[in-house]
Amino acid sequence: MGRRPFSLFWALCAAAGVVLLTFVVLPAGSMIAEAGAGLLGEALRQDDVRRSLVLTVSAALITTVIGFVVGVPLAYLLARKEFPGKRAVEGVIDLPIVFPHTAAGVALLTVYGRQGVVGRLLAPLGIEFTETMAGIVLAMLFVSLPFLVDGAREAFALVDERYEHVARTLGSSRFGAFARVTFPQAWRGVLAGAVLMWGRGISEFGAVVILAYNPKVISVLTFERFEGFGLRAAQPPAVLIVLVAFVAFLLARTFLVPRRRRTGKGQR
Amino acid sequence: MIELLGLEVEAGGFRVGPVGLRAGDGRYVVLLGPSGAGKSLVLEAAAGVRGAAAGRIRLAGADVTGLTPERRRVGLVFQDGLLFPHLTVAANIAYGMRAAGRDGVAAGGAAPRSRGHRLSARVREEKVRRLAATVGVTALLDRRPATLSGGERQRVALARALAAGPRALLLDEPLSAVDPEAREELQEVLRRICGERRLPVLHVTHDRDEAFALADECVVLIGGRVHQAGKPLEVLRRPADAAVARFLGARNVLPARRDPADPRLAVLDAGGALPTASPLPAEAVVVVVRPEDLRLAPAGDPAAATAATVTRLTLQGGHVLVGLAAPAPLDALVPAGELDAAGITVGQKVTVSVRPEHVHVLPAG
Repeated sequence: MGRRPFSLFWALCAAAGVVLLTFVVLPAGSMIAEAGAGLLGEALRQDDVRRSLVLTVSAALITTVIGFVVGVPLAYLLARKEFPGKRAVEGVIDLPIVFPHTAAGVALLTVYGRQGVVGRLLAPLGIEFTETMAGIVLAMLFVSLPFLVDGAREAFALVDERYEHVARTLGSSRFGAFARVTFPQAWRGVLAGAVLMWGRGISEFGAVVILAYNPKVISVLTFERFEGFGLRAAQPPAVLIVLVAFVAFLLARTFLVPRRRRTGKGQR
Repeated sequence: MIELLGLEVEAGGFRVGPVGLRAGDGRYVVLLGPSGAGKSLVLEAAAGVRGAAAGRIRLAGADVTGLTPERRRVGLVFQDGLLFPHLTVAANIAYGMRAAGRDGVAAGGAAPRSRGHRLSARVREEKVRRLAATVGVTALLDRRPATLSGGERQRVALARALAAGPRALLLDEPLSAVDPEAREELQEVLRRICGERRLPVLHVTHDRDEAFALADECVVLIGGRVHQAGKPLEVLRRPADAAVARFLGARNVLPARRDPADPRLAVLDAGGALPTASPLPAEAVVVVVRPEDLRLAPAGDPAAATAATVTRLTLQGGHVLVGLAAPAPLDALVPAGELDAAGITVGQKVTVSVRPEHVHVLPAG
């Protein structure tokens, strides 16, 4: 008997995959190929592009650190505890994913703008969110927090809670059990969520452009150049940010893809 | 000593208890029951990782009901060992010594904290080695948990629990994921540790053989309720009710009535009769006969009491479980050699006998 023929079912699945991959890879690939090394060098020589790159990357980094500090405890709570309204909390956390981001920007401006409820309160303290780095971080945080919270929650949920029970009977406090037993098993998943959050942050346009057009993050700069000077002028910042994102994701996928929970299979 | 006094636990609308039991120092108590009986909930409450809905938990005479797990000093071992996968075997064993030192919780036998860090680390290492030797895992100290067998993992989990200086050992199905050969060895280790260290042990299992091999005392929990507590043989021979009898593998649990002519003869509702050691009450009863207590003989044997037909033969280890229609359905467990010698086959007519003292009578319902 020969090999079983590749079934039509799998062939159709594979065909769908090829269509999808082409759809994703073609624009990014052709943009980079067309640009070549020359355009990349040109991008790096332009002051406004360099400034914008540093601003975008660092604002996304600050956003991620803030997200980590507030998001990880919430993710852990959601992974471990059942409480009334938990579904609602999870829904609210994921809401920014379905929000049109320009609408998110308008909503943020309503609250944190100079005339907004919070904006008015914070202005006397010198904290302003319109046309500032703080505004960029705020917009990035709003749209990217779900990625970290969801990723971290999944990672924590994969760690059997009974590990913590054992740790606590061995003398660890609740925090000690989390820090010494749960987090070391979940950190890859949490960090993968953080990288996704950072990636979502650097690519944000809609919310940022409404809350803080200036200083210009790279997506705003790309848009402005396209509007003002056409495709050729928009290419350098676009190529640069795509490459930065690509390298970051490549590293993250190589080192951080969370390990699947092991089954008994294959273990001695 | 660990004592559970009227302990009740609730989880998802399921209430377990009240459970009352006591394991003295060096005593091995097994909480035995089918899956879903609520055994693990009781153990979790005893360990403090789950709250008690009612009742008290006492350790070495002190009430610990309101204490967090880290202040109770109990050793908890689960079915799959649950060794911390990111730590080596040695680091797993040492975990409790360190955690206790850091969190300021006293761990009996831990290295004195007043000494220098270097020395206490050495003392710790020495203690890890000693414990590893106690449970027979000295050669595994540098390994990662993922590379260990089920039995090895349980030994390490046991050493880890002992390292924190527990006042009691709480074991949740600790042998279920272990190969049969390794299981017997591990049973010996458990008995030895319980005896040598004078530790009270509370061991939860659904496995009757495991329970009877290990227990000084058995507590049978079915459907969240304690049905019986006592010495293993007593529980096995004299089940408190039909549910315990069935769970313990009595197999022949049959509704019956007193024979009007002979008060020591139980007439089975499904047909046939069995002799009893003492006179039966007037009301309906349930008679329990363990399959190994039934004797078979070829039809026509004058000593036999009841005629039966063999309906099925199932090999079980060195024994054969013989299904009988007598006409009530009965199961007899017969050594395979004996069955062979008697030449008993399916469809054959046989006679079934049982000694009256092996017919256990329970109230019906």
